[in-house]
Amino acid sequence: MAVIEARDVVKRYETGGETLTALKGIDFAVEAGEFVSIMGPSGSGKTTLLNLLGLLDDPSEGQILLDGEDVTGLSERERTRARKRTIGFVFQNFYLIPTLTARENVEIPALFDHDPTVTDRATDLLERVGLGDRLEHRPDELSGGQKQRVAISRSLINEPRVVLADEPTGNLDRETGRQILDEFVSVTEQDVAVIAVTHDELVNEYVDRKVELVDGYMGEDAPVSTGSAGGTVGGAADRSVDSQGASERTGAADDSDDEDASGTDAGTTTDPFLSDPEEGGGGDRNA
Amino acid sequence: MTGMLDPIYRRFPALLMARRNIGRTKIRSILAALGIVIGVIAIASLGMFGLTLRYNIQQNLGDIGNQVQVSPASDDSGRLATFSERDIRDIERVAGPDATVVPQKQRFIPVALDRGEPENRIVRGIARPSEIYEARSGSIPDPYRSGALVGATLAEENDLEPGSTITVDGSTVRVLAVLEASQGLGFSNVGDSVILPANRLGDRGWDQVTITTESSTRANQTAVALREELNDRRERVEVQDFSDIADSIGQTFQTLNLFLIGIGSISLLVAGISILNVMLMSTVERREEIGVMRAVGFQKMDVLKIMLSEATLLGFVGGVVGIVFSVAAGMIINHVITGTVTTAFRPQNFVYIGLAFAFGVGTALLSGFYPAWKAANERPVDALRG
Repeated sequence: MAVIEARDVVKRYETGGETLTALKGIDFAVEAGEFVSIMGPSGSGKTTLLNLLGLLDDPSEGQILLDGEDVTGLSERERTRARKRTIGFVFQNFYLIPTLTARENVEIPALFDHDPTVTDRATDLLERVGLGDRLEHRPDELSGGQKQRVAISRSLINEPRVVLADEPTGNLDRETGRQILDEFVSVTEQDVAVIAVTHDELVNEYVDRKVELVDGYMGEDAPVSTGSAGGTVGGAADRSVDSQGASERTGAADDSDDEDASGTDAGTTTDPFLSDPEEGGGGDRNA
Repeated sequence: MTGMLDPIYRRFPALLMARRNIGRTKIRSILAALGIVIGVIAIASLGMFGLTLRYNIQQNLGDIGNQVQVSPASDDSGRLATFSERDIRDIERVAGPDATVVPQKQRFIPVALDRGEPENRIVRGIARPSEIYEARSGSIPDPYRSGALVGATLAEENDLEPGSTITVDGSTVRVLAVLEASQGLGFSNVGDSVILPANRLGDRGWDQVTITTESSTRANQTAVALREELNDRRERVEVQDFSDIADSIGQTFQTLNLFLIGIGSISLLVAGISILNVMLMSTVERREEIGVMRAVGFQKMDVLKIMLSEATLLGFVGGVVGIVFSVAAGMIINHVITGTVTTAFRPQNFVYIGLAFAFGVGTALLSGFYPAWKAANERPVDALRG
């Protein structure tokens, strides 16, 4: 069963008497432990979709399911509780609280739980991302990559089922971006799904599958996808050739895997060069 | 330092967040708290000032409330009425054993204080002056059969002292004592009086009776009793007491005090607006942060708690500093008005300090409410969009 699922989701915004349809019927599901990227040009509805999946917003039509349970139409309070229990967030700008130490930032989502184990868990999470010696540092004493690792630790403190990442490598240089993506891969190894919304082709070297969002439609659903999607694919191809050597060095991805393509939803494409059979093919692992 | 507070922060995590946020914009927070400090000082010290003033005036007016003056009611004939010995006994009976009843006669007769021409003055005849007067110099004999007593003002103006002689109605009398000026505005004020033994002023009855009781309440009761018991069939006595005046003086000061506190409250209002402003700026600056907190699972109430803790903390710190300064101000006020510092520690002063502190914290809390509510109700989606 999918850990998170969008069924025929439509999202409309009212702006100045005009109705803008950001999402025009999205069907999308992610299995536990899957690493999925959502690609698409600006204004394609990526962030809107992420907000809906993250229970930050309600769809105008359709349903969002968490572990098969419909969470659309929950009250604000219940939605917040469900969000806290199941979803972790990682943002492009890290959004750490500048007055708190790294460890305190990781503890934030559990701050009001009065749980005595939370400090130990936070320490443990930071040690796992290699920040064991930065526990008491404030965000302004950390590099971008370190901040994002703190943010990843924060997203994991409540043991979520899904981590939603909005341009997680957007503010990082390429090498640091790779380290962060490696962290996401190890997150998925613990059966936590990661959904990353991004422009960054580098992400696709690490994901199990890639989803294109164009003009409010997902992948093949898009009526006029050839022009823009073609451009994107072309760009992606260029960059994957670039990055192939690098990915071999990191050892994050090396094999092609055809099963992946068959196992994924319609409208998704998989980069034949860069998917790792161990990480991909959700079907095997979820069985 | 912070280590000491760790258990508190662990128990009230909102307080930790609040403490750190206040530390982030130190100057701004200090200025906001300073508003509360000033407000608390203003209310507390103006309150204490009014109280000390009232206390001091009550001290100075001392006897004002606890005396009753009884005069004979003038009858229809128009003759000046007097009290007989029987009347005096009736008055003593009504006044009760605790009251001091001092009858006196008054005559307007020529008195020469030094070798100059005699002038007409009021001369009082009192049988036992030691009951209500104290001697500043010399002594008041008891029983009092001869000699004169003079008031302090009169003595100063005319260089009189025990041993001096004055001439009353043609006969020479030796001054035995200069009387202590009585405190306040009582009926027994004798600053410029000449007192002689009652029997020296003839056999005519008593012109006036002064009754001194323990308190103004008791004086008022006595006055009421005298009117009721002695005036039941015909008007025998006219009773005057100061309780009404004492009440109205008390009320005037109460009003003055409220007015002063009102002025002080204006400064707290200003402080409240400054906290409101600081908190609003803070919510705008931290919009995204608050959005993230909501995204990672903080309920609206949690955000509200953090923001209100922040406002309360500002108010609390401001209030505590305000108290310290208020106590100091109270000591200065008391030193200036009453000449002693210890009166600053009267319990009622602490009522004002407590009141000021409560108003200070309350103002901060109230001012924090709107920004907190605004922050808590912002949709995380909007906040994170930037």
